[in-house]
Amino acid sequence: MTDLFHNLALGFSVAVSPVNLLLCLIGALVGTLVGVLPGIGTIATVAMLLPITFGLPPVGALIMLAGIYYGAQYGGSTTSILVNIPGEATSVVTTLDGFQMAKRGRAGPALAIAAIGSFIAGCAATVLIAVLGTPLTRLALAFGPAEYFSLMVLGLIFAVVLAKGSVLMAIAMIAFGILLSMVGSDIETGASRMAFNIPELADGLGFATVAMGVFGFAEIIRNLDAGAEMDRDLVQQKITGLMPTKEDMKDSLPAIFRGTVLGSILGILPGGGAVIASFAAYTFEKKISREPQKFGRGAIAGVAAPESANNAAAQTSFIPLLTLGIPPNAVMALMVGAMTIHGIVPGPQVMQKQPDLVWGMIASMWIGNLMLIIINLPLVGIWVRLLRVPYRLMFPSIVVFCAIGIYSINNAPVDVILAGAFGLIGYWLIKHEFEPAPLLLGMVLGPLMEENLRRALLISRGDWSVFITRPLSAVLMAAAAGLLVLAVLPTLRRKRDKVFLESEG
Amino acid sequence: MGVAAFSLWACSDLQSMHGFSFGAGTAPRIFATLLFGLGSAVMIVGVINEGPQVAHYSWRGPLFVSLALVFFALAIRPLGLAVSGLVSFLISALGSHETRWGEALIVGVWPDSRLCGAIPLYFGAADAAVPSFSGAVRAG
Repeated sequence: MTDLFHNLALGFSVAVSPVNLLLCLIGALVGTLVGVLPGIGTIATVAMLLPITFGLPPVGALIMLAGIYYGAQYGGSTTSILVNIPGEATSVVTTLDGFQMAKRGRAGPALAIAAIGSFIAGCAATVLIAVLGTPLTRLALAFGPAEYFSLMVLGLIFAVVLAKGSVLMAIAMIAFGILLSMVGSDIETGASRMAFNIPELADGLGFATVAMGVFGFAEIIRNLDAGAEMDRDLVQQKITGLMPTKEDMKDSLPAIFRGTVLGSILGILPGGGAVIASFAAYTFEKKISREPQKFGRGAIAGVAAPESANNAAAQTSFIPLLTLGIPPNAVMALMVGAMTIHGIVPGPQVMQKQPDLVWGMIASMWIGNLMLIIINLPLVGIWVRLLRVPYRLMFPSIVVFCAIGIYSINNAPVDVILAGAFGLIGYWLIKHEFEPAPLLLGMVLGPLMEENLRRALLISRGDWSVFITRPLSAVLMAAAAGLLVLAVLPTLRRKRDKVFLESEG
Repeated sequence: MGVAAFSLWACSDLQSMHGFSFGAGTAPRIFATLLFGLGSAVMIVGVINEGPQVAHYSWRGPLFVSLALVFFALAIRPLGLAVSGLVSFLISALGSHETRWGEALIVGVWPDSRLCGAIPLYFGAADAAVPSFSGAVRAG
């Protein structure tokens, strides 16, 4: 317990430095700004804004990226409530009651409750990260290469189970991502692999280049298909009376509490627990409500529960990343990319060797969530005005901004062309219902998987059974196999498809 | 399957397992073979099951966004950010049939001037903002 307070005190001492406070504020604001833009989800937002953090010191860069992440999530909720278009899959359920409230002139309380719920959930999840951080790090230090490899397999299988569409296609995307990560020089022998003597490929494909292409440009191109439909039917009334009434608070607080608990637990699961968390919280709230008929017609608990759950889950998804070095979803994979660029290898060693970095980021989440609630509610008018900018004017600016961002990483024009090529690949993948998120996870985990596979086989003198003879590794592998079997079982597949169908509708 | 076959060909000259140790080509071969197998399975499932219609492609967005990026990549060094940014903006604006040119030009010039001022300085490449004809000669 003393350790916990000591670590949090260390974190706050780092996070409240003027520079880090400013970076946190900029991250939260820029994240919200891009998050409210139509058609750009959280992953694309973080991918597009990655390059602006590269010139910063590592702590500042991570604080800013975390700010961008939860800022973008907040922006996604704003569009859900005001325009009936979720900025992200995690905000889908919010549209059901949030937009209904907005149509009745209660957009203000809906936005306020979403922000308050997110803040409370964020605070609780931050404490959970702090509590679980140290014991999980100790556990992670007991892992050998075989256990790490099995854990990564389990993480990837989770990503497959929770990805939209066909399980087979999701596994293929992971294999494609791992293969992409192998372009460049072999770490052990230095041999050039699939680089075709192109100097720019000698160091491998840039992570930001692939992410920006597959998520940023592909999303822009796909949105262009929609044409004028991108310009949303906005709630036209002026947003007044932000503060929720006593009645609103009474209805919301228990929902916020339940959403926070559910979200915190489900967020730790690898593979994107935040989506499931928001659906689970909404369904649970509707089931236990005395007036379930109110849900879908503007019930404030229908906004409070999923918004708290998705924010709690978004924050607890940092736990596997910070303690085990395993990114549980695509946004965390982007964080790994950013850490790697700054020379940080995520995992238990970071917690021990650079505690200021980890705890500084954890403490900054608290501060960032508070900033979002203080700054963004008065700024809601600006976000609404931003939503009125037609897409035809917005997308060329985003294309140029992203091009500058990619170019600036290595001052390499070829990176811009590669990102464009990955944009086309991403567009093709989306059109053929391949989910690109597992590709990114595969690309991030690829080098780690290869390294641990190599080490495990070297230690076991080439014996492949090492993955099932070591107890912990065997448990992880069995869990992965069990999950895979469950995912292809007809009953579970139907339920899974139903969730994603609802999220699209 | 095409990507997998191409990868298998591309790493055919790389060293495979030697003793207990992985060669440079072992892992790429494992995952390329896995991808080939999965691709085949996706194809077989696609042939057996009747799925939804293949999505409609529009050529306009992909073409002009790609052209804008290629232009940006080729022009950033010789022409600088001011020119390449604005022209790339206008090329990508062609990606939508709803573009109104007067409006696009005004919107293009406004952020372009801001980007030229702020972004290169931030990224530590202030000289990239304006055309550098010596750069053009070097590049040429």
